[in-house]
Amino acid sequence: MKNRMRTAAALTAVLALVGMSACGRDDGGTTDAPTQQEVSEGAATGTLTMWAMGTEGEKLPDLVKKFEADNEGVKVEVTAIPWDSAHDKFTAAIAADTTPDLAMVGTTWMGEFIGLGALDPTPAMIDASKFFEGAQATTVVNDTSYGVPWYVETRLPFYRTDIAEKAGITEAPTTWEGLKDMAKAMQEKGGSKWGISLQPGATGSWQSVVPFMWSNGGELTNKDMTEFTFDEENNVEALAYYQSFFTDGIANKSPAQGTTEADFASGDAPMFISGPWMMGAVEAAGGEGFADKYDVMLMPKKEISASFVGGSNLAVFKNTDNRDAAWKLVDFLTTDTTQVEWFGMSTDLPSVKSAWEDDALKSNEKLAMFGTQLETAFAPPPVQTWEQVAASLDAQVEKVTKTGTDPAEALKTVQQEATAIGIG
Amino acid sequence: MSTAASVERKPRPRSKIGNASEARAGLILAVPFLLLFALFTLWPVFQSMFMSFTDTRVTDIRTPFSVNFVGFQNYAKALADPVFRRAALNTGVFVVVGVPLTIAAGLAAAVALDKGITRFRGVFRVGFYTPVITSIVAVAVVWRFLLQPDSGLVNTVLGLVGIDGPNWLGDTRTSLLSLIIMATWRNFGTGMIIFLAGLQSVPWNLHEAASLDGASSWQRFWNITLPLLRPTLLFVLVTTTIGYLQFFEEPFVMTQGGPLNSTISASMYTYNQFGFGNYGVAGAMAYMTFLVIVVVTIIQFRLTREK
Repeated sequence: MKNRMRTAAALTAVLALVGMSACGRDDGGTTDAPTQQEVSEGAATGTLTMWAMGTEGEKLPDLVKKFEADNEGVKVEVTAIPWDSAHDKFTAAIAADTTPDLAMVGTTWMGEFIGLGALDPTPAMIDASKFFEGAQATTVVNDTSYGVPWYVETRLPFYRTDIAEKAGITEAPTTWEGLKDMAKAMQEKGGSKWGISLQPGATGSWQSVVPFMWSNGGELTNKDMTEFTFDEENNVEALAYYQSFFTDGIANKSPAQGTTEADFASGDAPMFISGPWMMGAVEAAGGEGFADKYDVMLMPKKEISASFVGGSNLAVFKNTDNRDAAWKLVDFLTTDTTQVEWFGMSTDLPSVKSAWEDDALKSNEKLAMFGTQLETAFAPPPVQTWEQVAASLDAQVEKVTKTGTDPAEALKTVQQEATAIGIG
Repeated sequence: MSTAASVERKPRPRSKIGNASEARAGLILAVPFLLLFALFTLWPVFQSMFMSFTDTRVTDIRTPFSVNFVGFQNYAKALADPVFRRAALNTGVFVVVGVPLTIAAGLAAAVALDKGITRFRGVFRVGFYTPVITSIVAVAVVWRFLLQPDSGLVNTVLGLVGIDGPNWLGDTRTSLLSLIIMATWRNFGTGMIIFLAGLQSVPWNLHEAASLDGASSWQRFWNITLPLLRPTLLFVLVTTTIGYLQFFEEPFVMTQGGPLNSTISASMYTYNQFGFGNYGVAGAMAYMTFLVIVVVTIIQFRLTREK
């Protein structure tokens, strides 16, 4: 035993020595100013490899056939990768310099990949102003854009029109007070068990809370993105508003997982805030004719009507051998005609504003409402440490909704933890 | 005939040349394994230990050695983290309650299959073992349905006898308990199979002699079966404890550690830290879990050693 201890101690000492001698960060680091090189004219040539996740990965090969037809001599190989392992695969590829030429990148990963120096700055050939502002902002770090939004999604309040009518509400509310009154009326007069279904903390609940902060004029970081500003007054007010749904008994503090659609269809919880994919889900849960029994409305206003913008971006990796062709493919994927065609194939919502003028999107009123909200939908700041900071916010939101913690105290804790984690 | 010859042939000192060439051949044969072992097992172990003493973050993956050495700072940071302490406490409760429960259930099932149940023995054996080999994801979906507060089977049955069942997974007082019961159900099959094998080695004539002397079946179990099962018991105890100290899948798929961190485990929190890119702190947490496993296992070996 003693002998083994000695060996262990010696080993630790050796490791410590190795650690001290062989390591140490470079001073200053490599902060090359990003350069936006031009992309050559003419048709794209050569081979491109592209990674895409989920349904996009499966359906993309059909879409790029047209690109291959337009540009003779280019060959695009799409690799479909599952969402679960995608993040690990990307970080491993970046570490080993085996990244593809371009890829679909989750919006919340942008800060991290840009921090790793893996992405190529967007060239001037792509007009950044054609995208929804909130979505475009997810590609920007230090005033340089590293990619483009490919498709977007945003969140709206869904409500049961028949129950609202029973509760005496004929017009969708537009203010914070209006939303809460409506939820209360549906619970008291509409015969529903709860007024609205809101996420009481746990992973991802920040996506429900933060839009109210933006709505109240709050921000999560200062302008230069050098420090977090969670504990500012506007944010506290927004969290207090969110909390009041739970303390007033309008929203369930501990709902069972995965019952949102069923509760909406049965009328137990006649309102919730979520994205466009829920339209199909509630219509499936509600059966025939349910599409006429519900509607969506814009996020209620305090200062503005604000929502969360999600989706995925397209990015070209720095170590590509075929940069020009890669950006040409990105350009092809973000023309309005391709975006409308892609919507038809995948139901992914276009990130290009002009694509929403097409009848395919305009004719569906509910869908068009999402398009309107996208004008004032925002994304969290693209900082490397966002996932961890968000987890801290999620934990405090849960305390606020379930144990009645003071919102100001909770956000002070988030501010402290976020500052300790650092902005990356 | 060969026995006599082999007894006679004592190990003679071989010639040095023969010895060396044999050693060389052995070494050459072992080289592929040793290389793979060093590359894929030993190196990651050292690398992760090294990482736990540095400020490595995800941004350092391209240059894993240009990081600063920070001594035990990561360990101090982990120990000062209230969520990690909560995770450690949860893991402790899970082990202290879950391990005895799992072993008792496994032993009871094994004894029942060995003696009590004579009909459909195979069916029961398969039935008890099925949860072990079933995918946790499928199991989680079913258990979530069972434990649902309003319409779940558990609360419906409780309602029939007039008990208002709690919101099992949504209440901080019952969430960890629910996971312990689920883990017990999922894991006792392994112990059962090993106990069944162990029970075969208990000689029936001892039982016969004892019952002739008037020992009740409970006394025979306590004084004959259990002492003879001691090595089996030790094995099941150690493997179950090691497994439960790394308790991860149940909270990961059922509760994501919630509500209010009431089910987060040390392994799961470590996993989260790796996900956030804090490789140094996560490494420190992983090594602390490893250390606890080593210490607990040594204690168990000491306590249950044959006298």
